[in-house]
Formats: sequence, structure tokens, C-alpha cells
Amino acid sequence: MLKIENLSKTYPNGTQALHDVSFEVDEGEFLAVIGLSGSGKSTLLRCINRLIEPTSGKITWNGMDVTAASGKEIRNIRRQIGMIFQQFNLVKRSSVNTNVLSGRLGYVSTFPSLFHVFSKDDHERVKKTLDMVGLADKIDVRADSLSGGQQQRVGIARALMQEPKMILADEPVASLDPVLAHSILKYLEKLNKEYGMTVICSLHFLDLVHRYATRAIALKDGYLVFQGLPKEIDDVQFKQIYGKEAERIEIV
Amino acid sequence: MILEPAQKAETRPIERVIPFLSILIPGSGQMLLKKTWRGITIFIFTIILGYLVNWAYVKFEIAKVPTLGTWLVIPLVFFFLWNVLDAFLLSIHKKSPALIPVVCAAVILYVIGWSVTGVKMDRLVTRFADARTVMNRLVNPDFFSTNEGDKVVVCSWGCLWDYATARISGTEGPEIFVSQNVGQIFGQQGTITAPSWKVTFGLAEKNQRIPGFETGKIVETIAIGLLATLFSTVLAIPVSFLAAHNIMRRVPLGNGVYYVSRTILNFVRAIDTVVWGLIIIVWVGLGSFAGVIALTIHSIAALGKLFSEEIEHIDPGPVEAIEATGGNFFQVIRYAVIPQVIPSLLSYTLLRWDINMRSATVIGFVAGGGIGFFVLETIRMGGYQQYAAALWAIAVVIIVVDWISSKWRANILKDQPEATGKPTGWKKIRKYVYIFLGIAAFLYCWEITKIDLGKLFNPGPTFGRLLVDFISIDLSAKVIDNVLRELIITTMQALLATTLGGILAIPISFLAAKNLTGKSKFSAWIFYLTRSVFNVLRSIEALLYVAIFVYWVGVGPFAGMLALAITTFALMGKLFSEAIENIDPGPIEAITASGANKLQSIIYAIVPQIVPPFLSYLIYQWDINIRMATIIGFAGGGGIGLMLSTFFGSLQYHKAGTVMAAIVIIVAAMDFTSAKIREKFV
Repeated sequence: MLKIENLSKTYPNGTQALHDVSFEVDEGEFLAVIGLSGSGKSTLLRCINRLIEPTSGKITWNGMDVTAASGKEIRNIRRQIGMIFQQFNLVKRSSVNTNVLSGRLGYVSTFPSLFHVFSKDDHERVKKTLDMVGLADKIDVRADSLSGGQQQRVGIARALMQEPKMILADEPVASLDPVLAHSILKYLEKLNKEYGMTVICSLHFLDLVHRYATRAIALKDGYLVFQGLPKEIDDVQFKQIYGKEAERIEIV
Repeated sequence: MILEPAQKAETRPIERVIPFLSILIPGSGQMLLKKTWRGITIFIFTIILGYLVNWAYVKFEIAKVPTLGTWLVIPLVFFFLWNVLDAFLLSIHKKSPALIPVVCAAVILYVIGWSVTGVKMDRLVTRFADARTVMNRLVNPDFFSTNEGDKVVVCSWGCLWDYATARISGTEGPEIFVSQNVGQIFGQQGTITAPSWKVTFGLAEKNQRIPGFETGKIVETIAIGLLATLFSTVLAIPVSFLAAHNIMRRVPLGNGVYYVSRTILNFVRAIDTVVWGLIIIVWVGLGSFAGVIALTIHSIAALGKLFSEEIEHIDPGPVEAIEATGGNFFQVIRYAVIPQVIPSLLSYTLLRWDINMRSATVIGFVAGGGIGFFVLETIRMGGYQQYAAALWAIAVVIIVVDWISSKWRANILKDQPEATGKPTGWKKIRKYVYIFLGIAAFLYCWEITKIDLGKLFNPGPTFGRLLVDFISIDLSAKVIDNVLRELIITTMQALLATTLGGILAIPISFLAAKNLTGKSKFSAWIFYLTRSVFNVLRSIEALLYVAIFVYWVGVGPFAGMLALAITTFALMGKLFSEAIENIDPGPIEAITASGANKLQSIIYAIVPQIVPPFLSYLIYQWDINIRMATIIGFAGGGGIGLMLSTFFGSLQYHKAGTVMAAIVIIVAAMDFTSAKIREKFV
């Protein structure tokens, strides 16, 4: 169970990205985080695995105090939390194989990994994971020769290599077209339902939230303004989250 | 509405006073009026120009007017008056004419530069006979010889023609053979010191002289360039991580390490390879090995800077992703940073290989290895035809290297993913063949450059004293005075050479631009001819040209300046013509469509587009020329290089240290200035 208490983040330039945010996530939930660009979604997700240092507040996950973890401890926590990015964050020049293998880095010792030495198990795991995301035949090609949707599936495969208990997805479909968006979110749904992984996913489109999330939270200017079931987001709530000018746009 | 004029009235008296400050301290008014850079520039220029005018009059009586002093005071006064005018116009928000200060400064700089570099244009004409002798020898290099009576003489073009016609017609012609000179340059059968592999297998004693194939000087040069590039790349990679801000931020005390590394890199880079050679020979003694080290040291600094900038510009996404998986610092570097920077690192390495090959041709002037040493010997013996043969050999090697390097760089920067599918036949084994050839070449280079790492730990007898003397450099008034004089001469050489070379290059570069020369056969020939002239001239380092001009106009700064002007002409010609080729053809079309003729379209459509890149290249070249001018003295070209080699030669290391410090300061200052000017105006 993930518990976030009074989380705040102020950047060195004075921008306050998060104001006193508190919420809980139970194991096995698919939590959607919604809000406008700049509302603090990315900061929130990155505070959970401490890619960004929170200014104040406390994060506990399965009894571990994430905010107080030391360098070695936080790496141990991170390897149990997979992360998926809007821009995929693959090393474009490296092969799919290397990119996926790099998900294992939290588990292997430093020295052999510097020379690209991984165990037989890890290589087997790459094959299995790529099979799962339907890219088994692309193992030796360079990441930049894949399409956007395929690259994001490599990103998912990399996260799965960590055998994560939880997945953080930072706008995983914002750089993809709507059809591909569904295919990516279906993978996340599968991980959530079949493998019981907790998923925290920030999303732009409300209909995707309705379709996939079990619960949703909304951020506006760094404040938590909504917490509840996706279907509870009515027009009044919507205007509150997205501002008065916003119109609901449906996509396929 | 009523408030506003009242406010203005309040601020006015202050703004009125500010310009008067510029009378007391030039530039201070501009600084207070929020034009800080303008003010600082005016202040510094006033001091420099004032000092130069006084210095030139006291030392050399330059621009002397009987009983009155020097007339260079006039532009100086105008410069000062303009500064006051500028401050006044600034305070009432008007622009001042920029031409006045530029003309004033130019008059002062060029008049002084002309005198101190000893420009004697008349010598170019009066000693034309000497020039013709040199030119005649340069186009008749010593490649083939013939017997004339009992003497062996160089077989010139005329002799070769006789030989060829005789062979064709079947009659008796002159008997010709390959000169001994060619053997020295390219390699020949002779006696050599036993190679180490023979010693290892017990086939020869150590240092035994045995018959074998003597390595050619040009081959040795290639080996020096290759090894220095390899060593410096391997060593520059770790160094560049220490000098990359985004990496150092992640480790404790990283910021401190970052600033220290950057400073050291800039310091080492400011000293030219040839000057490093002077220091290295004190350490390991004369020879190719010293050359390799000198090139390596300078290259590490240059590559380290470029590499670290490349590392700072990577996409941070993958770094974030690897961190999120729980990877540690080293894993982040290995999996997120290195894969991203490999293509640009390789490309910089290839570029550096090109530069190192050029440096390798001159390092022999001081370090005693490679073709540079051979050239120095031929000049000392007055063997201009042997010298010419060496220059032609260098030109061929450098042009080939230049071509390979730019081809590979273009390929690398395209950075296409490889075609998928199983590799077949040759492609399968190609990798291993290359690796094998690479190792073989590496071992061969190691052998012929006589690399002896043991020498690094067993420095020469005076090396310890050199290190001590470099810390306690001689700052006595007399030394400072002399160093300053040579420094001014060196800077002026660079200034005049850039001007002269640039002015000559501008018209010629139009002939070498493919989009302007048109499509007729005749103009295509002109294009290829000018481009080839640029390429051949560019392939020879300025230091190697000095000998020609020493013969023509005599030893001194003038000869050095002309040598620099030649290389400037060649490089600027190439860059200018490429800049012309890269212009947007749209405006030319539009101007031509309006009924303008060729000349009008050049002035209205081309000139406005090429002025910014031309200026940028000229400033860049000035920067290069300052560095080159510091070494031009090693071959008799005057300036600070001669002084430096004298101090090193007479073991006066504390004075040599003063010269080095002066070089570092002037190069760093020019580096900074040219970067500032370029970002401001171009």
C-alpha cells in the first residue's frame, strides 16, 4: 500500500508544483492522475520514486519510508517500481535488447554490468518479456528504427524486467495516436488485472480514465482537487479540474 | 498625464551628469546607462590603444612627427571624443556612428602592426629574383635524379620530358633513377636498430644495428598522428566526464572537480602542440616518442573539452529511465550516457586525427621526429628541392587524410540503424579483419615511433629544474619588457595575416563557389582549379611555409606574417566559398527576376547573406593565427616563438616560464574576446 502524506514540492526557481497532497493507493488499484499540463502530475509521480526530491511530506510504501531512504535503499525501492515515460526515454542508438536489459540494472552488480555481462536468466527474461509485448522479432534492431507505439512497448518491457510490484506511468500515451493509446493502456490493464500490479498512470483524456482506471485523483495548480471513482467526475467536477473554458472532447 | 513629465524632470539632471563621467573615465557613462559591455569594451580599448601608441613611440618612434611626438595621438583623441559623444547620445536615446571608433582603432593597430612586423612590401618586388629561384625549386622537387658528368643532379621536368620522349621514340635519353631523397621520405633499404620483436625472439641484440627497411619520415609522421589520436581519445573520455557539469552534479564535490578540470583543460589547450614539444623533450629526450606525447597532451585537452560539451547536451530522458530502474551512478553512465555520445565522440576523434596529422608534420621542428625534422634539416642545408619534395609528400598525405576523415564523419553523423537481416560472407568476417588490421597497424606504429613508457618515469636530468622554474617564473622588469614586445609583435602578425589573407580570399572564393561559377566547361575548370589550390595550400602548416618567405624577404616577423597569410588565404578561401554555396537561392532569383544584372544580384542578394559567416570565420581565423603566431618563430618567422626556443635552448626555464604564461594569457584573452564578438555580432 502506498501512502502519501502532506507532500509538497517547491523547485529552486520558486515554482510550487505540489501543495500538501495526501492520498492512499491500495494494492492492485489502477489509479489515474488527471489534470492540465503543469498541474503537477509528473512531479507527483517522480516524487514517489524520488527521481525528484520532495520538499516536505512523507511517502511510505509497503511499510518502507521512501522519503527517508538512503542512496542504496532508494535504489532497492526503485527496482521494485517500474516507470514508463511519455517520451519513452529509450537510448535510441542502442538495440531493443540492451534497452530492455537495462531494466535489470537494479538487480545486477555494477562491475559485470559495465561490460554488458548479464546472466542467462536475464537474457531469457528479455525474450519472455518481449514476447509478452509482441516484439519478439525486434530484439536485435535499434530502438530508433521502431515506431512510436513499438518504442513505448519496449519501455513497458524494460519496466517489466524489474519484476515490479507497482508501475508509474507518466502520460504513457500522450505521444501516441488514439488507436495506439488503447493498445498501450490494454497492456497496463493486463498487468494490473492478471499480474496484480498496482498502476499509477497520469492521463490527459477523460474517456481513457473512464475506460481503464479503477480510481482517479485530480490535480490543479499543485492541489489535490478530486479523489474518487472515475464515474463520479461529472460536468461540474470537470470544469473545476480543467477550468471553465474546457469542453469535453471524446476520442475513439 | 500630469505626473509623467514631472517624473521625467526628476530623472533628467542625473542622466545629464552621467555622460560627463565618460570624460573622466572612458566607458563609465555607458556602464551607468546600462550598456555594461559597451562601457567595458570602450574602457579596455582606450587603455590598450593608449598604451600601444605610447609604447610604439617610446620603443620604436613609430609615426614620429619632429618636435611634436607621434601623430597617432590624433586617432586616439578622436576615439576618446567619440566615447564622450556616444555617452551623450546614449543619454538621449540616440545611436552614435559606429564607424568612427572602428576606423580610429584600425588606424592605430595597423600603423603599429605594419612597423613592428617589419613589413617591407618593396622586398616582395626587389627580391623577386630570389623568389623565382625558390619557386623554380618548389615546382622541381627532388624525386628523380640523373647523372650529369660525374655528378648526381636532380632530374627536373625538362629532364623528365627528355627521358619520356626518348623512351617513346626509342632513342638514347638521359638515364634517370629515384633520388635518395625519396628513400628518406618514403622508406628505403638500409641499416636499422633491431626491432623489438627480433630482440624478443632472440634474433638480434638490443640496440644492434642490422640491415633492414628504414622507415620513411612521412610514414613516421603518419604513425605519430595515429598513435596520438588513439591515446588522446582513450584518455580524454574519462577526463571529459570530470569536466561535464551534468555528470559532476551527481557526485559529492563534483562542482569543484568540474571547475578545476575545465580550467586545466583550457590552460593545456592554450599552449600549442609545438610548445608542448619543447617541454616534453626535456622530459623524455628527442625523438618520435616526444612528438607522440606532445600531440597527445594537447589533444586530450582539446578533445576533453569537446567531449564534455557533448556529454552536457545529451537527452536526459534515458538517464531518468535508468535511474528509475534502480541503476547506480556507473550504470547510468554506461547505459544512458555513453551510448548517446558515441557517434559525436567518434566524429570529433576523426576531426582530431586530421588536426593531429597536420601537427605531426611540424612537431619534428622541436621534438626531432617525423617529416618536420627532415624539413628542418633540408632548410639548414639549403636543399630547397629536397624541401619541396617533402612538402609535396605532406600535401598528398594530408589531403588524403582530410578526405577520409570527412567521409567517415559524414557517415557517422548520418547514424542510420543498420539494415536488418543476417550478415553474409564478407560482412560476417569484415569486423574481424578490421580488428586484426587495426592491431597490426597499432603495433607497427608503436615500433617505429619507439614508444618507451619507461622513459616517462625516468625524466631527463633538467626536467626537475624545469618544473621548479616554471613555478618561480622570472618577473623582472627587463624580461617582462622583452616578453611584452614579442607578444605585441606576435599579436600584430596574426592581425595583419588575417587581414591580408582574408582580403585576398574574398574575391578568389567567388571563383570556387559552385553555384556562382555557372555551368560552362570553362568555369567548371576554374572551380576545380581554385578549389585544388585552396586544398593544396591548406594542407601545409604555416610553420613549413616560413622557409620560403625567409628566403624571399629575409628572417623576421614579416616572413612569418606572410606564411600565416598563406594558410589564412587557403582556409578562408575554402570556408568562404562553402558559405557562398550555402546561401538561400531565393533572393537571387527574386533580384534577377526584377531585371538586375549579375553584379547587382551579387550585391543585393548574396553579399547581405555572406557577411555574417565571413566575419565569423575571420574572427575564428584570427584566433587560430594568434596560436600559430606563437610558434612561427621556430622556423625564423619572428615573434614570441623565437624567444621561447632561445630560452629553452639556453636552459633558462624560469624565463621560458614567463613566456609560456604570457602565451596562455594572450590566447585565453583572444579566445574569450573572439567568442564574445561572434555571439554579439554574428
